[in-house]
Amino acid sequence: MQTHEQTTAASSNTSSLVIEQLTLKRQQQLLLSLNETIVGGDILTIMGPSGSGKSTLLNWLTGMLPKGFSAKGNVYLNGQLITDTASHMRRIGLIYQDPLLFPHLTVAGNISFAMPAGVKAQRQADISQALSQVGLAGLEHRSPQSLSGGQQARVALLRVLLSQPKAILLDEPFSKLDSQLRQETRQLVFEQIRQHKLPAIMVTHDQSDADAAQGKIISLF
Amino acid sequence: MITAKSGFNTLVRSSPYLMMALLVLPVIGGLIAVVLPAFGWFPVLGHTQFNISGFVDLWHTPGIGYMALLSVSTSFISTLLAFVITILILASYFTSPWLGYIQRLLGPILVIPHAAAAIAIGFLITPSGMFSRLVSPWLSGWDTPPDWLFPHDAMGLSIILGLTLKELPFLLLMALSVLAQPDLGHTLRAQHRVALSLGYCPMTAFFKVVLPSLYPFLRLPILAVLAYASASVEIPLILGPNSPPTLAVAIMQWFHDVDLSLRIKASAGAIVQIALTLLLLLGWWLAEKLIKTLSQSMLVNGKREYAGAIMQNITHVITMLMLTVIGLALLGMVLWSFAGFWAYPDLLPNTFVTQHWQSALQQMRTPLVDTLLIGVCATGLAVVLTLLTLEAEQHTNKTVSRLSSVIIYLPLLIPSIAFLFGLVWVLEQINSHHTFINVVLAHLLFVLPYVFLSLASSFRRLDPRFSYVAASLGASQAKIFWQIKLPMLLAPIFIAAALGLAISFSQYLPTLLAGGGRINTITTEAVSLANGASRRTSAVYALVQMLLPALGFLLAWALPKMLLTHRE
Repeated sequence: MQTHEQTTAASSNTSSLVIEQLTLKRQQQLLLSLNETIVGGDILTIMGPSGSGKSTLLNWLTGMLPKGFSAKGNVYLNGQLITDTASHMRRIGLIYQDPLLFPHLTVAGNISFAMPAGVKAQRQADISQALSQVGLAGLEHRSPQSLSGGQQARVALLRVLLSQPKAILLDEPFSKLDSQLRQETRQLVFEQIRQHKLPAIMVTHDQSDADAAQGKIISLF
Repeated sequence: MITAKSGFNTLVRSSPYLMMALLVLPVIGGLIAVVLPAFGWFPVLGHTQFNISGFVDLWHTPGIGYMALLSVSTSFISTLLAFVITILILASYFTSPWLGYIQRLLGPILVIPHAAAAIAIGFLITPSGMFSRLVSPWLSGWDTPPDWLFPHDAMGLSIILGLTLKELPFLLLMALSVLAQPDLGHTLRAQHRVALSLGYCPMTAFFKVVLPSLYPFLRLPILAVLAYASASVEIPLILGPNSPPTLAVAIMQWFHDVDLSLRIKASAGAIVQIALTLLLLLGWWLAEKLIKTLSQSMLVNGKREYAGAIMQNITHVITMLMLTVIGLALLGMVLWSFAGFWAYPDLLPNTFVTQHWQSALQQMRTPLVDTLLIGVCATGLAVVLTLLTLEAEQHTNKTVSRLSSVIIYLPLLIPSIAFLFGLVWVLEQINSHHTFINVVLAHLLFVLPYVFLSLASSFRRLDPRFSYVAASLGASQAKIFWQIKLPMLLAPIFIAAALGLAISFSQYLPTLLAGGGRINTITTEAVSLANGASRRTSAVYALVQMLLPALGFLLAWALPKMLLTHRE
């Protein structure tokens, strides 16, 4: 975790995600237009019914716009233009409603997969420390399928954080958790985002998610 | 669902057993009838004592080691190549629309019979074939056909080329059908996106995230391909060396020898063939385990990029090369079938004539009718049995057991050369001299698994609530089957039937053996013409072989549409 804090600390002054003059279209029909700046630690919430283009916005931000959609506009991450950067070079982390842990890897393997290459022992120590911070100490060698839904969500969160992203996108992140778990997980995720000073965008149906994010809310209707 | 007793329900309940019997008895019977002579028990020649003289004879056959090596190496290398190229194509085009285009281009190759594919590839690489014409004389300086041994090279390179090109579309389409499963495909694509968002280059993301989950679904198809390749007859017969040939081809020649005592050696050879195939399957499985263990730490080492761009370019080249080879092979065959005089090294025939088509079509009238009759009978039986078995599955509310699903694929996994000869002997013993029925039953062994494979997923996916609604309206099981399920499944049934016909049309060994040489189909004729004198006649036969299944699929695609619009 140490290396991580150093990198985010160094860039904390400039940490931002800027969406400039975006218009998103499905075929010829306008889905949404947006002009936003999100500074590190802030969470922009986007609400709206399905089909309103929320997920398409996230797809555009990660460079994975599906066929049939078109977009105009630019996106800057920490001052760098990344509109045409390949998906895997953008360093934007994704959290979906499904944890999407890789079934062929252990819990530690999933996190290790996400971390930058490095000394094996150090990586393992980082993983153990991160796991114990979120109450999952000792679960390194379990298979993801043997964990509860809440535990899987926390592993997915660690996987994203330890990959040292420069921004985080959350796509209906808590909608598959029951209400008690939802609150706990949400608090943990938001805390981590603020602590790491990462700009974040959350797409959700749920008003309580939006309230908890304590940031700007945009409704698409 | 609780069902009442009725004639239909009894028929349905008993059909799985009938299907199993039709698949298991011939294979087991055939195997026993090969094992006995292999160990010396061959009453026709007065041998009634068990010994291993057959194996001793086999051991002393000149070149036996080379035959076995040729079988093992060609099948292993071709399967490995087909697998690696499949994976490279998937990895390179995983998120690209090109994957769909490649699928559409390669799909039709799947239904081209092995014999026809081998003939086409032979035409491409033969000394006066398309390839050497294409580079002559401007690049090679050849004014006369070069002096090379292709397509009968002793190393089996032509066999490898033929097998690889035939196996690749199969593996690729199997992989794509796994990715097309709604839940699994969606999850794998989402996990791929996760890996991209974690900074993995697309190629590495595929290898580290998608492949480990995808491979288990490909294992059975790969092993089937490997087993088939190790004992296949058509491709080595047309594209392989003659002395010595592959083991399977040699076994076939010994069985067919007028000298009946060679049957003992042939039976011993068939046993060795099974052992070789099993050894190959075991070898593949061990290699798989080894690679899995060795790569475990690489999966999580955090490295995001392994020369992905270079690999991607290599894949582009391989894909283009492959499509070009296939395109040229097909083009060459069409040209030959219409060629009049064709001087070397001209790229196109000097004159075009239709006389080869006219005379060949006249010649092939009887084989053509037999091909169609056998195909329709075998496919009809297969479709009916499959539908009833799948219906039984829903009556008893459980899918066929693991054992049964292995049994369904038994004829595809056991080298056919090993049990077909025994089967012929068994048929002779029970005095079944109706060659036509024998051929249909032999075809059924190979048609049934594919029809089942093709229909099972659509049948099982049909929303059960349609049946519940119908039953609540007072419809009997029979009525639901005939008036709800069958009409709703019309399109997949037609596709399965077209696949069954294509499989039946392509059968060489079962036709040859069960027909005892008295029944000829387009495929047996094409194979016997392949190494004969007239390349032009051979081209016509191979093209007809390709057109027949294509016609079947065209009908399967068009008929349901016509029937449905008619209803509207």
